[in-house]
Amino acid sequence: MSVLTDQLNVELAAVVERMGRSLVQVRNGRRGAGAGTIWHPDGLVVTNAHVASGSHLSVVLPNGTSLPARILVSGPDLDLAALMVDATGLPAVAVGDSRKLQPGQWVLAMGHPWGVLGAGATGVVIGVGPDLPGIPQFQHEWVVVDLRLRPGNSGGPLIDGQGRLVGVNTMIVGPNVGMAVPAHVVKAFLRKALLELGRSASPSVEGPVRCRL
Amino acid sequence: MANTLMELSNDLASTVSAAEAAVVRVEARRRLPASGFVWSRDGVIVTAHHVIEQEDSIVVGLPNGDAVRATLAGRDPTTDLAVLRVQGVSLTPPAWAESGSTRVGHLVLALGRPSKSVLATLGIVSALRESWHTPTGGRVDQYLQADVSMYPGFSGGPLVAASGHVIGLNTTALLRGATLTIPVTTLRRVVETLLAHGKIKRGHLGVGVQPARLPAAIATQLAQETGLLVVAVEPGSPADQAALLLGDTIVGLAGAPVRYPDDLLAGLSSDRIGTTVPVRVLRGGRLQELMATIGERQ
Repeated sequence: MSVLTDQLNVELAAVVERMGRSLVQVRNGRRGAGAGTIWHPDGLVVTNAHVASGSHLSVVLPNGTSLPARILVSGPDLDLAALMVDATGLPAVAVGDSRKLQPGQWVLAMGHPWGVLGAGATGVVIGVGPDLPGIPQFQHEWVVVDLRLRPGNSGGPLIDGQGRLVGVNTMIVGPNVGMAVPAHVVKAFLRKALLELGRSASPSVEGPVRCRL
Repeated sequence: MANTLMELSNDLASTVSAAEAAVVRVEARRRLPASGFVWSRDGVIVTAHHVIEQEDSIVVGLPNGDAVRATLAGRDPTTDLAVLRVQGVSLTPPAWAESGSTRVGHLVLALGRPSKSVLATLGIVSALRESWHTPTGGRVDQYLQADVSMYPGFSGGPLVAASGHVIGLNTTALLRGATLTIPVTTLRRVVETLLAHGKIKRGHLGVGVQPARLPAAIATQLAQETGLLVVAVEPGSPADQAALLLGDTIVGLAGAPVRYPDDLLAGLSSDRIGTTVPVRVLRGGRLQELMATIGERQ
C-alpha cells in the first residue's frame, strides 16, 4: 500500500475513533434506534426530533451505559431535538464552521445504519443551501451530501476532515444522497431554545441550564 | 492531526471551484434544469441531447449568475450530445484532460449546476474500454464509466479529474442504469460536425433485424455464432433496391462480420453514404452476396 493511502487510513481511523466517543444511540422504547451526538459534557445530546419522539427516551453511551433522557426542546420544523441526561464529564463533540462548507469537500457520517452500531460512511458535500434542486423545500439551509445514509443514521453527526461536527444527518433523499441540518442552524436552534427555556423557567427543567454554545 | 485527509478534502473543493467557471445551467425542459459546460470562449456550450426538450426557448445560466438566451447549433441523439450558442458573453472553457491520462480507480468529480450554485459528487473511474457504439448507433471513442452519483440535473455536466481537467460529458440516457461519460475526443469530433452541419450524418440500409443463431455448419464456416435475421424491409430503401428479402440473415457488411445490431450500425457510418458495398446474407441455407448502395438516414 502506498504511503499516502496508509497515512489516509491512519487519519480516517483516528477521526472515526474520536467521533465514536461522542456518538450515542437514542432509543424511544419502540423498535430501532436513532443516533445522537454529545454536544456538552454536562449531558446535552443533540438528535433529530423524529428520533426523540416517545415517552421512554434513553441515551446509550458508547460504553453501553443506558441513561434515561428527557426532551429539553424539540423543533419539528428543523427536525432537531435537544435531550438532557444526568451525567457530567461526557466527551463532547467539537463543532466546526458549516458556513464554510464547499462542494467537493470530504465528509463522514456516523450512526447506526440498520442497527449496526457506530458505523461510518464517507462521501463529499454536494452543495449547501435552502433551495437546491432535487430536495424537499424548507425555510432553512441544508448540507446535501453524496454518501450512503440509512435508517439509524438519523440524528447522527456529519463530520469534516478535522473531526468536527458540521451537520446533523436527517434525511435520505436518494440511494447515495443525504441531507443534514448544518451546524450553524443547530447552534442557532439551541441558542434560541435554551434562552426561551431560561426565561420561562419551566418547572420541568431541574437546575440551571449550564450549556455554553 | 488529519493533515492528509484535510489536504485531500481541500484539494477536492479546490478542484470544484477551479472547474466551476465552465459549468452552466441549461434550461430547456419543463422539469428540473440540467447542466452543460463551456466549449469555447466565443459562446459555444456543450450539453446532453436528451435535456433539450424545447429547442426554441433555451436559457443558459452562467457561473456569474446571469441567465442568457441560447440557440441550438445542433444535436446528435446517437451520442446524446447537443451544442448551444450564446451571444455577447465572455466564457471560460475548462482545461481538457489528455486522452490516455485517465485510469480505472482514479478519483473523479461529477459537476452540475441545476440551480444557481455548482454542485459536486465524488467517485472513481469504474471502467475504461475501447470504442463502442451506443444502442442508437453513435460511435463513442472510449467506454468510460464512473461510479459518481448523478444528482438530479447533472446530465450534460462534466466529469472532472482530480487535476481539474475535464474528462468528458456525463449522461444517464445512453444506457439504462449506467452513468456514462462521453470522452473529450468524441466531444471534439461531434461538436465540430454539429457546428458545421447541425447534425451527424448516418448511413441507412432500411431493414428491421433481430439477432439469430446460425446453423452449425455455417457458424463453423464463418467462425461466427449469430447473424441478423431480416424481419422488415422498407419499400424503396437501399435494402429493397439491393433485393434483400424478409427471412434473409445478414452475416456480413463490406467485408466485416455482422453478428449483432451494433455491427450493422458500425458499418453504416457517414463515410459509407453513397458507396456501394457487398451485403453477405444467408438465404435458403446458402451464403450469397448482394450489392447495396448505402443511403442517408433522414
